[in-house]
Amino acid sequence: MIGAFFREIAAAILAIWNDKGARSTMLGATLFFSVFFPQPYLSEVVRDMPVAVIDQDGSTLSRELIRRIDAADAVAVAHYAADMPSARALFLKRQVHGIVVVPPRFERDLLAARAAPIAVFSDGGYFLLNSVMSSALSNAARSLGAEVQVGRLTASGVDAAQAMAIVEPLRVTTVPLFNPTGGYASFVLPAVFVLILQQTLLMGIGNLKAGRRSAGGLSTFADAIVYVALYSLWAGVVLVLLPWVYRLPRIGDVAVMYAVAVPFLAAVTAMGLAVARLIPSKEGVIFFLVVLGMPLFFLSGVSWPAEAMPQFLRTVAFAIPSTTAVPALVRVNQMGADLRSVETAIFVQLALCIAYSTLAVAIERWKKGRSA
Amino acid sequence: MARKAHLAAGFRRVLLAELRQIGARPGLMFMLAPFPLLLFVLLAAVFQLGLPRDLPITVVDQDRSTLSRQMVRIVDATPEVAVTHEEGTLGEGRQRLLMGQAYGVVLIPPRTERDVLAGRRPEVVLFYNNQYMTPGSLVARSVGGALGTVAAGISVEARVARGSDVESATQAVVPVPIRQSALFNPSLEYVQFLLAAVMPTVLQIFIGASAALSFSRDRQGVAGLGKSLRLGGTLTRTAAGKLAPYTLAYLLVLWGADALLFGPMGARFGGSLTFHVAYGVVFVLASQMLGAAAALVARDTVSALAAVGVITGPAFGFTGITFPRLSMNGFSDVWADLLPVTHYLELRTDNILRGAPLDISMPAFAWLCSLALVYGGVTLLLLWRHGRPRLAASKEVAR
Repeated sequence: MIGAFFREIAAAILAIWNDKGARSTMLGATLFFSVFFPQPYLSEVVRDMPVAVIDQDGSTLSRELIRRIDAADAVAVAHYAADMPSARALFLKRQVHGIVVVPPRFERDLLAARAAPIAVFSDGGYFLLNSVMSSALSNAARSLGAEVQVGRLTASGVDAAQAMAIVEPLRVTTVPLFNPTGGYASFVLPAVFVLILQQTLLMGIGNLKAGRRSAGGLSTFADAIVYVALYSLWAGVVLVLLPWVYRLPRIGDVAVMYAVAVPFLAAVTAMGLAVARLIPSKEGVIFFLVVLGMPLFFLSGVSWPAEAMPQFLRTVAFAIPSTTAVPALVRVNQMGADLRSVETAIFVQLALCIAYSTLAVAIERWKKGRSA
Repeated sequence: MARKAHLAAGFRRVLLAELRQIGARPGLMFMLAPFPLLLFVLLAAVFQLGLPRDLPITVVDQDRSTLSRQMVRIVDATPEVAVTHEEGTLGEGRQRLLMGQAYGVVLIPPRTERDVLAGRRPEVVLFYNNQYMTPGSLVARSVGGALGTVAAGISVEARVARGSDVESATQAVVPVPIRQSALFNPSLEYVQFLLAAVMPTVLQIFIGASAALSFSRDRQGVAGLGKSLRLGGTLTRTAAGKLAPYTLAYLLVLWGADALLFGPMGARFGGSLTFHVAYGVVFVLASQMLGAAAALVARDTVSALAAVGVITGPAFGFTGITFPRLSMNGFSDVWADLLPVTHYLELRTDNILRGAPLDISMPAFAWLCSLALVYGGVTLLLLWRHGRPRLAASKEVAR
């Protein structure tokens, strides 16, 4: 019995190696996607986004404000425009991604303690550029405003500490956790890597199993063991080694990661076997998986909060291992969550594994019953 | 004239043969229109809210004063967030973040109110989960804004107490207010932003894959490509006849999704409809040619699909919709230009969101047309190379 089992294990390993499709998805594609996919995001943050300035005041303080805007890492003052139409033309040509208008009498109003508003036009079509603009501008405006205020109060005889207490009686500090620099690669890639594992594993199983008759329970079980073992190695590469190569923050405990990853890979394997028995053509399985990649990424709630999705959709999405595994693995690897914080996700994966195994067996029985 | 009629007949013969092939494959028929539309509905449901509301956050109120309770109330009143938990210590608050039950923790330390009154400028801290950047930054912005309002209120009171009138005290609190407007998408709706961009990217996969399947099927078949080429008469007629059913189906899907987006979902259409139709057609053609060329380069159907998957699957990251192209590395920037969807999305943004004049969009439109021509040229060249020997061989047999 044990001998037969090991022969099946060896057969399963050979099957992956001998099937060109399986070899290229389970060995090649996993690595390829993990190198190819990160490329657009590797610079992590937007630097020196070009903006246009319309300085209608031309005063010392307006120049000081523009200097502070330019000093921000994320933006750079690239053009001084004479008026709104010419700035707008630069914007439409994508030569600038924001416009700042400093109105006339900016300095006079500011020094006379009247509100001296500035107008800012950001790019509503690109969210990251839009938020880059907001934060660079509000920092510059706030720091200049506070300085002028404190200066005026101290000039009127208030001591510096008291002046600060009037201008800013309560300090509000915001502290970004886990991805302190707000890096885009650090945000997207840990989730994408998990999804790559799931999709290439499913594709590999589809290549090996779609349209073929099951070779019996023991053989299928041995296959499953081999797939989970192979992908446990991949999980190490993709979730531990690659983040190190790309310098993404990773603070998690590897043991806890595997406590989530192994049940996850088992659930994906069971699902792959069931899907391969449901969709008879290899091409069909592969196509289905390529197309679903992006929707599954959004369903995982890493980029778009799950709370904002309809309850019905969230319930249905539970049937797919990545929906719970992606956030759980991100919480472990990037946020340092302990076992207790992700135990629900582990139970969900185990339940899915049992459910899909049962489904795979049921489909096989039904097929046999029909052909008999 | 007779020759022209003959060519048209060739086109029709290939078209009918392709339609019969599609008709014999229910899976393929499902992939032509129902599946992409189903995915559109799914994605529309994901982004249905447009802007997230009531994101859960935790409060650690160690002050328990009138002021601290006022802060919690004001934070909770912002539409984007909801205070769902109150914890005694920061450690417990952090645990909520790790369990995924909250996106932020507001820490109000002991004696905050007393320190405010004594002018000691205490610190209130918002910790937010920036690993989940979209909800994280939304929480940071709205909670930061709410706490800022509280601080501003105290500042106004302090000034009024020093003899200033309310009007000038209020103005003095925010000396340089920013009137920010987001050009071309003032409400900052995610539906406009993500859904309108994700759908064409997903469609590019469908379009490329269907073209790849169509050509691979012929190449793997017993008769080879020769049969289709004989039916069509010329390379162009053959390629056109084979691809026409898919062109039509996916144009209908593309415009059907747009009809839902601009109709019932209420997105604003601010540009030229004629131009929108024009670059839509070129986009579908370019994506088809990309898939067809891949199918003719690859050795078998699975490799052809894999090639299309590799090119079109990760395309979204390269389009610059989420992470901007200006910050990409050289490789990504070049790769992005080779993908039809990059230029299509740029044209969409220019035309629909920005209502830009046509001359602004000409470079992107020229790119899209060149891609269609280049990929089309490659397809015809490979079709000629693959079709020729078999055609010659079958003629030999006929003799």
